[in-house]
Amino acid sequence: MRLCGRVWRAVVAGWFWLVLVSGLPAWALDVPSLSGPVVDVAHVLPPDTVEQLSQEIRAHEAKTSNQVVVLILPSLEGETLFDFSHRVATTWKLGRKGTDNGVLLLVALKDRKVRLEVGYGLEGALTDARSAQIIRNEIVPRFRSGEFAVGVTAGVRAVLSTIEGTYQASERPTATSTDGETVGNVLLAVIVGVFIGLLFSRAHRVLGPAVGGGVSFVVAPWLVPALIAGGTSIVLVSLLGGRGRSAGSRQWRRTSGFEETWFSTQHGGWGTGGLGGAFGGGDSFSGGGGDFGGGGASGDW
Amino acid sequence: MSMCVARMVLVSLLLTGIVTSSGCGYNDLQGLDEDTKAAWSEVINQYQRRADLIPNLVNTVKGYAAHEKETLESVVEARAKATSVQITPELLKDEAAFKKFQEAQQGLSGALGRLLALAEQYPNLKADQGFRDLQSQLEGTENRIAVARKRYIEKVAEFNKMVRYFPTNLTAKFLLHLDEKANFTVADEKAVAKPPEVKF
Repeated sequence: MRLCGRVWRAVVAGWFWLVLVSGLPAWALDVPSLSGPVVDVAHVLPPDTVEQLSQEIRAHEAKTSNQVVVLILPSLEGETLFDFSHRVATTWKLGRKGTDNGVLLLVALKDRKVRLEVGYGLEGALTDARSAQIIRNEIVPRFRSGEFAVGVTAGVRAVLSTIEGTYQASERPTATSTDGETVGNVLLAVIVGVFIGLLFSRAHRVLGPAVGGGVSFVVAPWLVPALIAGGTSIVLVSLLGGRGRSAGSRQWRRTSGFEETWFSTQHGGWGTGGLGGAFGGGDSFSGGGGDFGGGGASGDW
Repeated sequence: MSMCVARMVLVSLLLTGIVTSSGCGYNDLQGLDEDTKAAWSEVINQYQRRADLIPNLVNTVKGYAAHEKETLESVVEARAKATSVQITPELLKDEAAFKKFQEAQQGLSGALGRLLALAEQYPNLKADQGFRDLQSQLEGTENRIAVARKRYIEKVAEFNKMVRYFPTNLTAKFLLHLDEKANFTVADEKAVAKPPEVKF
């Protein structure tokens, strides 16, 4: 009886494990969340060092827009240094979109490995050779004598002074998201659908909304936007088409109906646009869309 | 009345046709075609960058280990071979040429690996500032090649999917005359060789 219970428990545990594993990507190590300029997962830096470094990095970013981040891990857990470092940098999207001016300093304690990952836009100033020199001359000797805080600080300062003067901070470029594109496509689908639907609703009361909705559905990209567009068109055509027929001068009604559709969809578009933009701001620390092509250098101690 | 309905149907069909032409994949295919070409150019660019570093590297090593003729010559030879096999973006559908390119670059990787292993035996060479800089540049370039290849692989997968899926395959075949593009084989891929770790 007891054995049976244990087998059952093992089976159930195995099931949960399978479900859990299949839901996860195949990576052995997850990218930590970007909580600030210094992400000390291993907790080796004293709080005042973290504070001091964060201030220097933020001041540098405010002046130049270059974004430097330190990540200290207890272990790579079997991942390749470069693969993981590149994954972290591209996940966090350090630096700005377009200028790609981000730098990641990754330290893996157990593996005794350190890497500088340099964004596309800074490869000219912080070259591979210069990155290797910083690691070799500033960081590694101090790590060897166990002074992690001093080594990280020296490394970050060397990086900051190397990339000083590469870019000037100006206002953040507004990110044009694909969300905006989808909204535009849905708008277009609704407008075309309503236009065609209204034409048909002169001939038949049910046919109009049906055709309008159908057209919008076909024109809109992907399923959910298509459903939204189709539904909107059906409602709009029913409302406008019905009213247009019910009263006096058809020509006038139709024109006014059109204007109303136009403005209401316009308005809807602006509304969502504003909502999307509101998420962009905020005081928290986050990447700006920078890209990394594999530049930088690695070292060990 | 029936004339009027017929005209309306015609107008609607026309309008829908214009707007949905973006749904048959025409624009997406054209865009992805350009993207794969750009991704390929980046691959070529990084391989070229590696080839450009080699003469300097060979000269530096010669200064400390001139008698290691065989290894040095094999690097020069492999470089010459690798730079002679060029693939323009238009030739990407040619599997055989692509394979030849990949083999030539792998040959160079192997020769370079042997040269760097040899350098380990010469402490003076290892301490040389110029050699150290070259080594870090070479390492950075290998990383860039890895990234460029990964991005090319992803883009081509996306492109090839559209070339094969319905209905975009019709657009690709009859309208744009686009073929599937060759991709790196993953068999000998260092990056992909490591299976995901599952710990119990």
